[in-house]
This record gives sequence, structure tokens and C-alpha cells, in this order.
Amino acid sequence: MVGPALKASLICFFILVCCVGYVWQKKQIAELSRQIRNQEAHYNDLRDHNDKLKKQIAVLMSPTALEARAKDLRLGLVAPSPMQIWRLPEPPGDVPAGTEPDRQLAAGRSGAVAAVMEQ
Amino acid sequence: MAKKLQFKRLIALTFFMALAFGGLGYRLVDLQVLRHGELAREARSNTQFVCRLEPRRGDILDCKGNLLATSVFVKTVCADPSLIGTHAAEVAHALAPLLQMNEGELERRLVPRSRRNEKGQLVPVRYVLLKRKVSTDTWEKIQDAMSKLPLGEDAQKLPKKELAFNAALRKSAIMTEPVDDQLRIYPNSSLAANVIGYVGEMELTNMNPPIQTLAGLDGIEWRFDSKLKGVRGWRVSEHDGHQREMVDMREQDIAPHDGLNVVLTIDSVIQNIVENALRDGLKEHEPKSISGIVIRPRTGEILAMASLPTFDPNNPGAPGTPPDALHNRLISDVAEPGSTFKIVVVSGALNDGIVKLTDEFDCEHGKFYYGGTLLHDHTTTLGVLSVKEIITKSSNIGAAKIGLKMGDVRLHDYITAFGFGRTTGIPLKAESRGIVRAVTNWSKLSITRIPMGQEVGTTCLQMAMAMSAIANKGVLMQPMIVDRLVDTDGSTAIKYYPQVVRRVVSEEADKDMVEALKSVVTDDGTAKKAAMEHYTVAGKTGTAQKAEFTFDGKKYHGHYGEKFYSSFIGFFPADNPEILIYVALDTPKGNHYGGETAAPIFKQIAEQAANYLNIVPDKDNPSEAPGAPAVPVAAPVVAPDQPIKTAEAKLP
Repeated sequence: MVGPALKASLICFFILVCCVGYVWQKKQIAELSRQIRNQEAHYNDLRDHNDKLKKQIAVLMSPTALEARAKDLRLGLVAPSPMQIWRLPEPPGDVPAGTEPDRQLAAGRSGAVAAVMEQ
Repeated sequence: MAKKLQFKRLIALTFFMALAFGGLGYRLVDLQVLRHGELAREARSNTQFVCRLEPRRGDILDCKGNLLATSVFVKTVCADPSLIGTHAAEVAHALAPLLQMNEGELERRLVPRSRRNEKGQLVPVRYVLLKRKVSTDTWEKIQDAMSKLPLGEDAQKLPKKELAFNAALRKSAIMTEPVDDQLRIYPNSSLAANVIGYVGEMELTNMNPPIQTLAGLDGIEWRFDSKLKGVRGWRVSEHDGHQREMVDMREQDIAPHDGLNVVLTIDSVIQNIVENALRDGLKEHEPKSISGIVIRPRTGEILAMASLPTFDPNNPGAPGTPPDALHNRLISDVAEPGSTFKIVVVSGALNDGIVKLTDEFDCEHGKFYYGGTLLHDHTTTLGVLSVKEIITKSSNIGAAKIGLKMGDVRLHDYITAFGFGRTTGIPLKAESRGIVRAVTNWSKLSITRIPMGQEVGTTCLQMAMAMSAIANKGVLMQPMIVDRLVDTDGSTAIKYYPQVVRRVVSEEADKDMVEALKSVVTDDGTAKKAAMEHYTVAGKTGTAQKAEFTFDGKKYHGHYGEKFYSSFIGFFPADNPEILIYVALDTPKGNHYGGETAAPIFKQIAEQAANYLNIVPDKDNPSEAPGAPAVPVAAPVVAPDQPIKTAEAKLP
């Protein structure tokens, strides 16, 4: 007598668990959806903020802005004359493999005397 | 009896139950089977939406990575007049200063009205565009203003329905389009405007609904529009009753691919140096326009390219912008170059061995009759001059005589070999090929006029590239303005390399030519004002009379008037050139000689550029200190020393 009743109870319990689990899962999905939506909105806000800062940096770094700022602050900055620049030639070393002679730019463009190749 | 009654009741109940369930069943079949398609479509249309995801337009950067053009996402503000009701005036009053619109015009747009839909039914207008390109900061202020909008209501006295209406007005009446728009920003204003170009709005009518998008209209923005604009993405999803997207119901989610970034060869510092110098020149000489270009002769890279008056690409149609400021004069404007063109005939004659630098020509003291016409020099003091001195003193008669010795066919060959009469291939809009007539169309005077830079039309860029060939040991390079295209993560998508066009003259002839050009920038030459203290400069001045014409009602009469095109092209250090600078003034007032107007501007640019680029002086060699090893000369870009094989050049 107990057996069938127990079996029926177990089946009902199993169905109950499935239903609760299903509902819980749906709730989780909805919650995650909400979080994704919020994260995407947050991402867009950060992207917009980034754009604004990038634009600010670009404006502040423009040559005209820097010149105007140097004038306003009266720092007395002037470009050095060639005779004020001491150049220390480096001994010609091994040229790295793959360096093309036609890619040699103005000496010191990157801030140091560039390695040169003799023709 | 009772049983019979019960049975009858059972039958009746069964009958009615069967009827009810039958009806229900029929309805079920009707809705779920017969009308399944139609109702599914309607349900989908209620919840499903397709959202366009706009890619971000790529940036334009200079060679050091400084931003020259960028895009920011902005809002398109719109309104739902049906949610505004009778409060249009209050809303307009609050928003007009933020949107910078006329309050009356704004109120007119917010007044509720109706329209006829496709079925001919009267429906309320639920969408009105208020303003495009509204920054996110302004949109936040609008949202704040709407949330605090005073509607003159007393919460205690108003019915619930009206309170709900007011709440909906504040929350939803003013909204933005779901897809953000983009605003193109040029942080450096007019710096390199003629190179960068500008954008405009374009409507794509093949989309439903039609959409507005940015399109490049000039310069690099136009030329690389397809690379800059990126690829649109989209999202197919559903929203709930509160119009919030249900992310778990997304069917398709294709991310947009942002546009590539274009890295130019332009250096914004050198560009600024050039533009400042040109601005000074514009103020001092008051020409119609002034142009300048800085090139690295070995590679053809353009470090700066400027022309004034110019425009601000943030507002290209601003009042006060001259119409001709929007085009790039360095590649579009054609002019007779004048004496700078003498490098063609002299280098060609040296290359052919027809003349040597020491050969002498009688420059007739400034008056040379040929073909029944008198050819003048700018002075009557020039007697017998060597070929070198013809360049030093810029004798027209000397150049004409060299041209006569060379012959018209050969001269034409060298003109085309130097790149004149065809476009250089620079990736910018509206490049002119100049004017070089075929030899069969030359008059008998042409052989004397063309060597001195008349009867031929060139652009500034063509002239600069020709001189660059002289600076590059006789090898003509293709001008480069774009270095590479870069992905958003910084990886290079496309890289451009220097392109050799052809060898125009041999190294030996080129060396002689450079010697002659060095003499121009001396006290004996026409460009002593271009001489630099620490660098040997080689260059050529040009002072070309501008052709004018008058119309007597029947025909045009051409003549040379009192307007001039003054220029100077120079490179330094002369024997191992790092940069070439070309300055040209169109119709300067007062002094018009290239040596007096353009040469000082060249010097101003050259000194600052040399400092910035840290070019090693060749006049004061620090390696001459005791014990210091000599600094070897960097190898230039040269093509193998072989004959030119192009059919049109026909040079040995």
C-alpha cells in the first residue's frame, strides 16, 4: 500500500522540482539578460567617455594649442639652434637582417643617430 | 423514471459540453493551425525588432599617431507629440536653449497632430525629428530638464489619469533614435585641411527606413571613404511590454566592423611650421594664395602640404570661407612655372652630354631675337655665361639656347620623363595633369619659351616631384601621402611603400645639376635669401608672368601682364638631401621675385624643420672633432643605373 503511494509522491516531487528548476532557470536568464543590457549600456557610456577624452587629448596635443599654451605661460621656450645640439656618432655596427637601405630616414628622427649603411 | 430523467440530463450535459469543447477546439484549430502564419507574424512584429549597429568611422592620423580626424557618437533627438498634449509650450521653453533652436519653431513641431497611414486611417503622429548631432552631454541635460519639467500641476488635485500622462510626458515624450549618429571632428581645425578633406551627410535610400550616413567629400576622407566607413552590423531581437530588449531572445547579433584608421605621411609639427610660415607670407606679400609642400626626396613621402587661404573642415561652408579655399591648389591649380622649369632643359642637356657645366653661351645682354620675336632676360647685364651660371643667374636666353641645342623632340622627352603632362598618382581628388602640348603642336617659338617655363602648365606637386628627382640622384619617385591603414587593434591592414617611377637622368648628370643649383643660393645667385647658416642649400627660383586675356567682343587676346607667379624650390643638405621644400605665391603684391618672396619663406620653414627633424648640418660637421669617426652618408633610394625604357621617354 505504501509502495504505490511513495512512487506517486516521488513522481510528483520530481515534477515539482523540474517545474521549480525551470522557473528558476527562466528567472536566471532574465536576470542575466538584464545584466547584459546594463553592461552594454555601461560599455556605450565608457566608449562615449573615451571618445570625449581622446578628442580632448588631440586638441591639447595639437601644435597650435601647444604653441599658444607655451606663449600664455611665458615659459621662454624656443627651438634649439643646430650649434646647441651635440651629436655623438655611433660606430657603424651590424645592420639587422632585413633592414632596407631605402628606409633610412633623417638622422635622429627617432631621437638618436640612426645606423647607416655604406653603399 | 428517475433513471430516465438522469439519463436525459446526462445527454443534455454531454451535448452542451461537447458543443462547448467543440467550439473551443474549433477556435484552437483556427488560431493555431489555420491562422498560424498570420498571427505568428503579428506577434513577431509586436515584439521583434531589427536594430542597425553603426560602425565607427576610422580616424585619420599623422605619421606620429597624432589625431587629425576622429568621430564621436552623437544622438538624434526626436519627440512623440502624442505624449506632449497641451504642454508643447512648456517643453519648447525648456528645450530650446539646450537644442539651440528657435522656441517658436520647436513648439510648432511638438504640437500633436494626425496623419493618414497606408490604410487611410487617421493615426496620431508619434515621431518628429527635433535635432541631429546632439552631443551626449547635451542629451543628459535634456533628460534632466525633462525629468524636472514644470507643468503647473498640483499633484493633490489632478486625477490619476492626468498624473500618469504627465509622468509619461516627462519620461518618454522626448527620446533619441535607437541608432546613434556620428559627428566628425577635426581637433586641429584647419591644419592640413586640404589634405584631410571633409565629410558630408548622405542619405541611403535603399535602406528601409532610409538612413543618414557620413560620406567623405574631399581629400583623404573621400579617397579612403570605403576603408574609413567600416561595415554595418545588425541585431534581431525582441522587446518586452516596457520596450526593453530581451537579450535572451536575440536571434542574430552581428557586430559592426569599425573603419580602418588611415595613417598619413604628414607630420603635424612640420605641417604647422609650414602653415605658420605661409601665414606670415600671406600677411607680408598679400598674394591671392600661397602654397607650400615639404617632401622627403628619397622616398617621395609628403611631410607637409598646405595652401592658404584654407578652411576649417569642422565647418567647411562657414560664412567668409572663400570658395576656392576648399580645393587643394597644390594639385589642382595649373600655372606656368617660370624659371624653376629650367632644371628640365639643363639636366636633360647634361644627361645627353650636349653640354657641360663649363660650356658657355652668349646671353646677348638680355635681348635675343628668334623667330621674329624678342626674348628678354630679367636684366641686361648677362653676357657670356657658363651653363652653371645660366642656372645661377637664371638666364632665360641661356636656357633657350640650351633648348635649341637639345631640340624639341628631346626636350619633350625629358619633360614627360620628369612627370609633367600626367598625374602623379597622389591619392587625392581633382589632380590636374597640367598642360604639355605634343611636339607637333609646338610653334617655332616654343623651343625657346618652354625651357624657361612658359607655354607649359604644371602643378606645384609636379614641380616639387621633378626637383625631388634631382635631389634623389636622378630618380623620380611617386608622391606618398598615406603610409598605412591600421585596424582598431593597431595591426597594419595595408602598408604602402615608396615607389620608384623611373630614372630620369644619370647620377653624374644629376651631380652636375646639383652643383649648379647650389650656386643659386649664394651671393651670386637669385636666391641668396634662402641660404641657411648650417646647411648647404640647392634650389631654383621662379618668377613667372601670368598670362591674361582680354575680350574685345569678337575674340580673345592673350598677353603677359603685370601679375606674377613667384616660387622657390630647394632641398638640403645639398649633397645628401633629407627634405625638399617648395613655396609658391600667386600674384604677390609689391615685390614679385621668387628670390625675394618665396625664398625667405623657404628659409623660415627649413630652419625650423631641420631643428625638429634633427638633420645633421653639413656646414658645421661635429664629427670633425679629434678622434671622432666620420659619419657615413646614408644611402639614397636609387633605381639600378639602367636606361629608361618607357616608350614615351626614349632617353638613353
